[in-house]
Parts: sequence; C-alpha cells; structure tokens
Amino acid sequence: MFYLKVLEITSLYTILVLGVYLMTGLTGLFSLGQGGFVSIGAYTAAIAYLRFGVPFPLALALAVLIGALLGFLVGIPTLRLRRDYFLLVTFGLGEMVRAGLLYLAQLTGGALGMAGMPKRVGLPLILGSIAVITFITYSLKRSRFGRDCIAIRDDELAASMMGINVYAHKMKVFIISSATTAYGGALYAFDILFIEPNLFNWLESAKLIIITFVGGLNSIAGVIAASTIYYSFGEFFRFIDVWRDVLLAVVVILVIIFRPGGLFQGLSLLPSRLRRKWR
Amino acid sequence: MNWNILLQQIVNGISLGGVYALMAVGFGLIFNVLKFSNFSHGGVVTLTAYVGFFLSRYVIANFIITFLLTAVAGGLAAVVIERLVFRPIRRKGYPISMLIVNSITVAMLVQQFFAVTLGADYYTYPNFIKETALHLGSLTVSKIYLLMLGISAVVLGALTYVIQKTKIGIAIRAASSDIFTPSLMGVNVDFVVSVAFFFSGVLGGITGYLLGMTFTVDPFVGSMILKGIIASIIGGMGSILGGVIAGLLLGAAESLLIGEIGAALTPMVIYGSIILLLLVRPQGIAGKITEIKA
Repeated sequence: MFYLKVLEITSLYTILVLGVYLMTGLTGLFSLGQGGFVSIGAYTAAIAYLRFGVPFPLALALAVLIGALLGFLVGIPTLRLRRDYFLLVTFGLGEMVRAGLLYLAQLTGGALGMAGMPKRVGLPLILGSIAVITFITYSLKRSRFGRDCIAIRDDELAASMMGINVYAHKMKVFIISSATTAYGGALYAFDILFIEPNLFNWLESAKLIIITFVGGLNSIAGVIAASTIYYSFGEFFRFIDVWRDVLLAVVVILVIIFRPGGLFQGLSLLPSRLRRKWR
Repeated sequence: MNWNILLQQIVNGISLGGVYALMAVGFGLIFNVLKFSNFSHGGVVTLTAYVGFFLSRYVIANFIITFLLTAVAGGLAAVVIERLVFRPIRRKGYPISMLIVNSITVAMLVQQFFAVTLGADYYTYPNFIKETALHLGSLTVSKIYLLMLGISAVVLGALTYVIQKTKIGIAIRAASSDIFTPSLMGVNVDFVVSVAFFFSGVLGGITGYLLGMTFTVDPFVGSMILKGIIASIIGGMGSILGGVIAGLLLGAAESLLIGEIGAALTPMVIYGSIILLLLVRPQGIAGKITEIKA
C-alpha cells in the first residue's frame, strides 16, 4: 500500500517532468515557469469543478485548454527572440501566476489554498496518462516534425536556413508542453486534493528542468527513471530528506560536467547528439 | 492625489532601484561575455547576505570594513563558481544550455543549503546608522536608502570606468563581441572570464550586503534576482547604462504601483508590461539586440 502511494505521487510528478522533456528535449527551450502552468491547470480544474459544477472530465479538458492558451499567449512575444528571453519571461510568468492566484482570493481562496475536490485520480489514470504522453512524445520525436525540432535544438540558424519555420515549430511544441503540464496540474488537484499558490515556485520549475538533464535530453526512459528516483527518494530516505535538493544539485553538476548525455545515457533509444553544439 | 506622497514614493523607489540596477549589471556582465543567463548570481547574492551578516555581527561591527570584505567575498565566490562549475563545461565546448542548467543548479544549491542549515531563523544586521532621516523640504529620506543609492552610483560609475578605459575592460569588451578571436590576439580569455566573474561577484556581494542590511536575511534573498533580470530585459540585455536606467525606473514604478494599486497587483502589472515591451521593442532601452551568431 505504502509503495503504491509513493508510486502514485512519484508518477504524478513524472507527468510534469515529461511536459518539460517534450519542450526541452525537442526544441532546447527552457522554461522556468512550468510551475505557473501546473498551478493554472490545477486551479482551472478545481475552480471549474467546485465553483461552477463542471463535471470532472470536462474540467480536465478545460484545464488543458487554458494551459495551451496561456502557452500560446506567452509564446507570441518570446519565441521569436533569443532563447534567453523565453527563459527569463517564463521565470517571471511563474511569479505572475502566483501573484495572480493570491490576488483573486475570492475565486481561488488566496493563500489558504483550495480543498474539497473529490478524489477522482488514482494510480491507473496516472500511469495510463504517462503511457499515452510517452507514446505521443516518442512518436513526435520520430516524425518529420520531431526531427525538424531536434534540428532546431541543435542549430537554430542552420535549421532555419534549411527552410524550417523555427517560430511555428517552437510554438507548437510549447503549446503541447503547456497543455501537458496543465493536465498534470489538474490531475494533481484531484489526487492530492489540496492546492495553494506557493506550491509550485520557481524552484519546483527548476527541478523539472534539472531532472530532465540528469535523465538525458535524448532519453525518455532515462528521464522517467531520473524523475522516479528523485521524487521517491524522500519517502525512502526520510532521515536525509531535507538535504535532498542539495544532494540533487551536486549530482547534477557532476553529471553535466562528466556525463553530458545524462546519467542514463545507455538507456537512450535514439543516438546521442548532445555533444554537438547549438547556440 | 497628494504630490508630496507621490514624490516620496518615487524617492523611495529610486533608492531600491539602485540595488536593482546593481543586480541587472552584475547579471548582464556575464550575459555579455558568455551569452548565458547566469542564475548563480542570485546564489552569490544570498551567500554574501549571510557573509555580511556574520562578519558584522560576530567579527567586527564596522560598516566600511565589513562592506568591503563582503564585496570581495562575493567576487571570490563568483570566481570559485566559475572555476568549478562553468569552466569545465566551457573548455569541453558543450552547448550553452549546459551552462544555464548548471547556473540554475548552483542557485538552487545555495538556496537549499541555507534553507536547511539556517533557514529556520531570520537574521538582522546590526544598526550601523542611527535611524535618522533627512528632511529635505517636505520629503523624508531615510539615510539607509540614501546610502544605498550613493553606493550603487559610485560602484556602477567605477565599473563603467574600468570597462571603458582600462586594459582589462577592453579585453572584457572584446571577449563580449567574440569569445574566440581575442585569444588569437594574445588575450588570456580564461583570465578575462575570471575577471568578469569577479566583477559580477563584487556587484553581487554589494547587492547581498545592501539587501541584508535593509531587510532581513533569509535563504530566499537571492530570488530578488528576478527584479534584476527584469531590469536587465527592460534595459536591453547586457547593456550597463540600460540596466542602470531600467533598474531605477523599475524601482520607481514598483513603488508607485504599490502605492496606487496595492502590492498584490503590482507584480502582475509589471510582468504584463514586460511581455508587451518584448512585443514592441525587444531590444529594450539601450537598443542593442543580441543576435544568434553562426
């Protein structure tokens, strides 16, 4: 029972990590505002269900829709610019969502958070979602679209010279990723049953990126493994749980310096192209 | 609306804006040279806020000495971070994304380290200045804010001089426009990068000290880097002058907005404006846009 619960929560986070993997693995974009999308998804679903009586499946769909829309709006000004602007603006976005949720206290419960969602999400739904998202990611990577995206990741200028519409590709991937992340947030709301604005700050968003890199940008299996290890770590090693993030940070720095293809390089299903330079 | 209150808010805002400008420039300096967003700058700010506290509380209660020591400590910390974390990646020619991930990781490392070890308490600096405010006509200016603004101005002025007039400054600017070519001209690029990190770290140290002195010290001081980053975007990434103007503007705007529409809505208005600004004028105030080079 205990292990199932650990697996459930760990898998929930793995969905969020996969959302980041989709974006960073395919196009090399970093977002430090994923927490914002998680919160948006969670709050959209919870508010729709609790305040407006929308049935659960519809609330989920609504969360995905709003997440995608937000991604689109943020993408318009930032995706045409250097990657750094995207990174920095999404960093701000996460904080903006947090401030917004606190401000709209009438709707969101403010700093007290929201509770009272019924338990609608269990292990089967979460694992099923992971399977579907993994399948979509894998198919995307193997498709022409995915290869174009990887070309963008490795060398944006060269890709655009080959006639790839860099902006449109990045936008599509970012929208898919935002939708996935918001979906994860909605599942979170109906699994953990309590959400509050500070749940996903920039640190949580940063961890999602960091775990993606530890797992390896080219390896879905590696990313899932890294995410599972990290998020279940605290449950099994409670005595050093507080040092978990410090430990993670040290491991990451070592992995990036000595094993840039990720800790689980061997698990990758596609040849590693990470050594190639993009800028 | 009362004009005195308005003016008072602008004065307060500009004082804080001086610190934003320090952060924007410290962040922008590294962005200029290595072309990546250096989040570890926030880590240096947090670290030095604690260093400044321990020095002034337990070693010597002298403002000038602890201030200078903290600034140097910040510089050294940044150099050490560069040596340990960024240089190995740079040497091997890995993509810039690796630098970004490592800088985020360093920021997290510092924040979580202090959260675990010292996070349970708030620390306050000793009172260096008897809290006497200056009265200029109807305005009241707190001395600590005035000092903050003065220090920011002097430091940024000195940095501009070094970057524009000295040999090492020229080398930094050369490395900013192209990191590879200066080495062909006999410039030791590794050394130049170290010096750039040292300068950036000194700015971070001063920021940490000033923030620690004005507010209380907690592990999340480094998150204030967000304000510096915003100022950096508004000013045009990597431009010193743009960063300074934008920092002051941001401080003043923030203080005015908090007065007018409240602290909850202010961040939303500011981030919303940033997104609009990027649509209209992505190069920021200074009008320099960093192109992706082949």
